[in-house]
Amino acid sequence: MRKKAYLLMLLPALLLYSLFVAYPFFSSLGLSFYDWPGIGPKKFIGFGNYRNILTGFMAPEFFRAAWHNVIFFIWSLVLSVVPGLFFAFLLAAGIKGTKFLKVIYFFPNTLAIVIVGFLWGLLLNPQWGLVNQLFKAVGLGFLAKPWLGDTKLALPTIIVVTAWRGLGFYILVYLAAIIGIDREMTEAARIDGATEMQIAGRIILPHLMPIIATTSMLKFIWTFNIFDIVYAMEGTQGGPAGSTDVLGTLFYRIAFGGLGSSQVGMGLGATVVTLIFLIVFPVSVFYVFIIEKRVERGE
Amino acid sequence: MLKFTRFQKAIAIFFLTLLAFINLYPIGIMVLSSFKSTREIFMKPFNLPSVWRWQNYVSAWQRADFAVYFKNSILVTAISIAAILLVSSMAAYVIARFDFKGKRYIYLYLLAGLALPTRLAIIPIFLLMRSMLLLDKLSGLVIVYTAGGIAFSVFLLVNFFKKLPRDIEDSAMIDGAGPFRIYWKIDLPLLKPALVTVAMFNFIDVWNDFFFPLILLSSKAKKTIPLGLQAFFGEYTIEWDVLFAALNISVLPVLIVFLILSKQFIAGMTEGALK
Repeated sequence: MRKKAYLLMLLPALLLYSLFVAYPFFSSLGLSFYDWPGIGPKKFIGFGNYRNILTGFMAPEFFRAAWHNVIFFIWSLVLSVVPGLFFAFLLAAGIKGTKFLKVIYFFPNTLAIVIVGFLWGLLLNPQWGLVNQLFKAVGLGFLAKPWLGDTKLALPTIIVVTAWRGLGFYILVYLAAIIGIDREMTEAARIDGATEMQIAGRIILPHLMPIIATTSMLKFIWTFNIFDIVYAMEGTQGGPAGSTDVLGTLFYRIAFGGLGSSQVGMGLGATVVTLIFLIVFPVSVFYVFIIEKRVERGE
Repeated sequence: MLKFTRFQKAIAIFFLTLLAFINLYPIGIMVLSSFKSTREIFMKPFNLPSVWRWQNYVSAWQRADFAVYFKNSILVTAISIAAILLVSSMAAYVIARFDFKGKRYIYLYLLAGLALPTRLAIIPIFLLMRSMLLLDKLSGLVIVYTAGGIAFSVFLLVNFFKKLPRDIEDSAMIDGAGPFRIYWKIDLPLLKPALVTVAMFNFIDVWNDFFFPLILLSSKAKKTIPLGLQAFFGEYTIEWDVLFAALNISVLPVLIVFLILSKQFIAGMTEGALK
């Protein structure tokens, strides 16, 4: 027994993780089968909550929110991978001041999402916000729009703001991957007469695919959990007229009551969370599988 | 690495500078606006402040209970980071150094946390905290952050542990030192740079978190900075001078830490993602 004493050192992490991370996930699944406002007795209703959400009175709201998450994911992916690669390749030229630029690019990532939301909320204010004043000042007054008040513009605006905060991370990760590529390989290609464009497209880019894949998977998982940025810029209702409502804000209204919530219920809320979980779960499993394989190979 | 011609380099510099400008300009406006009057922010948004109004900061600080929010944020962040470092480094040590039955599954179980956002489990967490009488308590937040930080921290630390040489450990073992002594006296000091990296990640996550305080805290005296800022923005919607000052005050601690540790930060971040 004495020999296994080291296992005690594993215990605090396992206990905390099990009680406050793992158990709540399962518990949430269990709750989704009950009708329960949060206090008092629970009433088992089988798949009643799922019916209400997927085909019943909650369905229009749920699918609208889920669709917004999908749009959010697709555009965030485009706005992180494309400019991310572009700027990473430019930084790979190794110009002077690269270190300095890296710090600048990464900085917005360190800001709290709500702070970014509030800041851009002020900058995008239709009357006094800097963005519209800038357009007017340079004679592009027709571009001065109520960015956060227009049902067609609000969601794209939030997506761009989110991309503004996050881009630096992708640039730096892709750059690190480019730098990590074996120099001999690119040198050999160069000797064989490959142009820089060919080296970038045919040698470097394929090597970046695994990292693009894993960062995209994480992006998928996180976009189905967005909440803060919508909350800070459009409130719990995901306004205007629900045009920015996402699963996170819908869930918040159902489970923790925001103003004007159609229904307050822990059971119903747990069902929304379980559905979000079902959406991200396959990607999560795949991600952990890849990470584990890499860990094993590293051993 | 790519080789650029002179002309291509010039184009690269143009775009890179443009991006730096897009990144910095809004932040610069935030800083400058915080020194103007609201009227000046509206009328002359692009100019430098005609008078540098430091009093905006004084009124923001006084009106928003920032002293309380700061104290709460510092308390929660410091204790959470300390707990995460201790708990995760012990676990990482065991996983990296010993072989035992089921180790692979335990590690996989912990790794799953990398891809499971804790906020999806918020309802049971809320209920747990309620039954433990930890709602509206900073200690409740600390527990959630510590548990939530374990997966990523263990993952990073296991990788670092594997890079440490084992010979010193082996000779200590022969001298009769137990596993905890070896971990505490030999490995932890060697692991300091890794611990700094892990601490930084968790610092940003915990310090910036808005979601858990929103759900778990209710009284004004318990609010952390992001949550306090939210209340403040709801209250003073027209006094932009004070709002900008409040934003700056909230950003400052992160900015200072980031500027001091930016190099380690970027290195750790990219390394973590490339693994």
